[in-house]
Amino acid sequence: MKIGSAMKFLTILLFAAPALAQDPIRIGVTQPLTGAFAASGNYVSQGAKIAEEAINASGGVLGRKIQLVIEDNKSNPTEAVATAEKLIAKDKVPVLMGAWSSTLTLAVMPKLMEYEVPMLVETSSSGKITTSGNPFIFRISPTSEMEARAFTPNVKTFGIKKADFLATNNDFGLGASQEFSQMLKAQGVQVGVMETMDPKATDFSAQLAKIKASGGDTLFVTTAVEQATLILKQAKEQQVKARIITTGGSVSPDQLIAQAGDAANGSYHLVFFTPWFPEAVKNPDIARKFVAEWNSRKYNVGGLTEGFRGWDGIHTIVEAIKAAGKAEPKAIAQAMWNVKVKGINGDIAFIKQGPAGKESAQNVPSVYVVRIDNGKVVKN
Amino acid sequence: MEQLLQHGLNALMLGGTYALLGIGLTLIFGIMRVVNFTHGELYAFGAYMMYGLVMKAGVNFFAALGLAIVLGVLLGALLELVLLSRLRAADIDTTMLVMIGAWIALQNAEQLAWTGVAVSINNPFPAAPLVLGPVSVAWNRVFVFGMALLLIVATYKVINGTKLGRAMRATFQDRDTAALMGVQIGAVHTATFALGSGLAAAAGALLGPVFVAYPSMGDLAAAKAFAVVILGGLGSIPGATLGGFILALVEELGAGYISSGYRDAMGFLLIIVILLFRPTGLFARKERIG
Amino acid sequence: MRATIVAAAGVLALASIPLWMGDPYLLHVLIMAGIFIIAAMSLNLLLGYAGQLSLGHVAFFGVGAYASALFSLGFRVQVFPGVVLAVEAKPVWLAMLAGMLAAGLCGWFIGRIAFKVRGAYFVIVSISFAEVARLVALNWVELTQGPMALNNIPALSIAGFAFLKKPSVYWLVLGCSVACFILIARIVHSRAGRAMVALAENEPLATSVGIDVTRYLVLATVVSATMAGAAGVLYAHYVRIVDPDVFLFIYTVTMSIMVITGGKGTLAGPIVGGVIFGLMPEGLRALAIRPETQWIVYGVLMVLVVYFLPQGIVPALKGLRLRRSAT
Repeated sequence: MKIGSAMKFLTILLFAAPALAQDPIRIGVTQPLTGAFAASGNYVSQGAKIAEEAINASGGVLGRKIQLVIEDNKSNPTEAVATAEKLIAKDKVPVLMGAWSSTLTLAVMPKLMEYEVPMLVETSSSGKITTSGNPFIFRISPTSEMEARAFTPNVKTFGIKKADFLATNNDFGLGASQEFSQMLKAQGVQVGVMETMDPKATDFSAQLAKIKASGGDTLFVTTAVEQATLILKQAKEQQVKARIITTGGSVSPDQLIAQAGDAANGSYHLVFFTPWFPEAVKNPDIARKFVAEWNSRKYNVGGLTEGFRGWDGIHTIVEAIKAAGKAEPKAIAQAMWNVKVKGINGDIAFIKQGPAGKESAQNVPSVYVVRIDNGKVVKN
Repeated sequence: MEQLLQHGLNALMLGGTYALLGIGLTLIFGIMRVVNFTHGELYAFGAYMMYGLVMKAGVNFFAALGLAIVLGVLLGALLELVLLSRLRAADIDTTMLVMIGAWIALQNAEQLAWTGVAVSINNPFPAAPLVLGPVSVAWNRVFVFGMALLLIVATYKVINGTKLGRAMRATFQDRDTAALMGVQIGAVHTATFALGSGLAAAAGALLGPVFVAYPSMGDLAAAKAFAVVILGGLGSIPGATLGGFILALVEELGAGYISSGYRDAMGFLLIIVILLFRPTGLFARKERIG
Repeated sequence: MRATIVAAAGVLALASIPLWMGDPYLLHVLIMAGIFIIAAMSLNLLLGYAGQLSLGHVAFFGVGAYASALFSLGFRVQVFPGVVLAVEAKPVWLAMLAGMLAAGLCGWFIGRIAFKVRGAYFVIVSISFAEVARLVALNWVELTQGPMALNNIPALSIAGFAFLKKPSVYWLVLGCSVACFILIARIVHSRAGRAMVALAENEPLATSVGIDVTRYLVLATVVSATMAGAAGVLYAHYVRIVDPDVFLFIYTVTMSIMVITGGKGTLAGPIVGGVIFGLMPEGLRALAIRPETQWIVYGVLMVLVVYFLPQGIVPALKGLRLRRSAT
């Protein structure tokens, strides 16, 4: 009897021990899955899930599988804080990815300092994020300033003489207008009107009438894809002659073609990933595989230009875990500084940015300009 | 000068739908005294029905329009029967809370059904705009304007020329007397809410193809509807009609000449100004309640 | 007397939570719920006792949050061409008082102009005020940073003691809630409170007896606004970031839900409603159903509570007890 139960006990112990070591490494993800940014948040999560499965299929990291814990921050800063609390304090994740918009990311940042857990920022563009003295921030997406800088050579090729701006009234839109207009002025271009609209607005007739009257040859538009679609349509209706360039990388040209139809032709877009011609990016094989996997799951084709961020983010995190040798926040943070990842956007590596002693990490991503011509996306 | 003309034309085209939204809400909020937070959701519902019928089921655009409006009326009737019928004697804030719960549930159901991605609805009108000298306007907007006017006139006819309309006016003027006179109070409540909701759905079905449809599109529409109702005076249909056009004009001119970022604030600022100087609105039907 | 002992025991039990519960996430949820309960209690004064449906209540919350944040960070803004108002960063406790004062002032202003209109009109005015406040916060970038948000707000601190650890914030919020509760209880049972209720129940009669309508409504609004402002101040220094989204209508909705489902016009109502609807979203999150479905469940539950208990949970419980004791 005693031997029997002892044998049972030993067996359980023998099998339990390796089972414990097989506990998956949890990675927290906070994204807006409902609310105003729901579409984008879901795309990023989808990209992240593709990465999760690819990594697990090839053996995981440190002999363990990874498991994404995805929380909905409801496009709301208070909720973003709650998701960070839950992921760090309750789910005990050693590293996070999020939170999509700059305001949501800024809201989460004090929690990272409090608990000393690193977060990978995959989309937010506000300069404040990496200059607030938070050493737990690792951003792979470009700031508006970097985007503007990457665009500089195009100013001459496009022959821009006078530019107007139309941006959504939040940190993302205003930041982009500010950075691009500064860059243009430095290049000797005249800046016309800088119009804004509420992120929920659908009628831009007033702004477009003013832009038309201003007479610039180029109009920079920074907003989400829904508004961009409407802007293209209404610009055509009001016979705005300027060439339209969208910035920010979140405006999916595929969705524009599908929904704005003819009005989308002749417009230009700054993107961080070119799924239509993967050979243009630094790591075309990786890009092609991602596109194939995305399409095989029948995800919305228009989501590729945002979904890749989830993929790049998770891969960067996993590289850091590998380099750290353990799934522990401080070690991961230290290791992440030195990772080099072949991502979909390009090669990912971090430089220091922000106040001395408390720098945040920033990647310098590639920026691509594409054009819509006859219902297709072409290289510029 | 031509900028002014363009603004005026834009305002005219949009004003009709604002009027539709406002008339619908003035019936429900102004007359039934229900703080109807689902009004915006009916607007979104109308737009999504157009999307489903035209883009998914391949129904003819004009037939889909009629169908979407009918479906909106039915949804409104359903909401009233399920949610409001038992609360007719309840406080204004109790019904308000029920409407808020319904609003949250409806909007997230829309997102569950259609995902959060914005969708556009094809329309059969030429893409090139109608050019009138220095100003231009899209053909689909002209259609929307025409249809809105038609629906407004039709609503007038129903309210003022039919038995149902008389019953509505009687019920909300003096409920007990109307009941004594044989009016079916319950049916009138349901019909009024259904009519108001149908108008909101109509506005959505008309504007959906002009803009895009997405789950939270109703929020802004509802806010503007409230502005129109206050402007016109609670319960006044001519007030709501005029109010719709005035709001559109104020928005266009405000956005065009003062500040485009504040465009959607114009409605609220207008409300505050009106309430400070003429609280009963332009055409108050009832005394301001005390 | 018995009620006071029960209440005191309840408070002590609540105060003991950080001592034995080690989960910081749950503590965070309780703190946020507590902040919203304070705001709900303030709304109850206006809605439940004075009978005024204010749907713009979040404006006072937001003004308190912004004012306190701005004074603690320091700001510099051009008010008129050539006239610049520059304020140095002030100690946090002073900023907190400034926040509450600013909210109270707004309350006074709203009280004065809004009570010319009543009922449905007041609903609209209050919503409009909150919307305009949000749009000002969004567009007056020089002062509020607009959508770029005010971040790096210093933590709560009074008389030099900084509330950095969660348990200390929890106790502060608990203490404030108790203080607010007592304040409201005193007002309600005072002459002013009785006048307010009289106004809510039958205004013409109350006026005919000589009660100064406007004065008592303005008083109710000022106290209510200051308290909501206090909640906003706590929020700003706990979450440490304030952006125009703090004026979102959904927060007014949350506060209203707490008050009405708990039982407006009762002292315990906002607390009961606050606990249930403050904790529910987190509870739903733990259920691992789709986020949209979580919201739908929330909306449906709301409707059901109001439907079956239109007076609120607390009055329903009281009624139950009365019926029990009668048999």
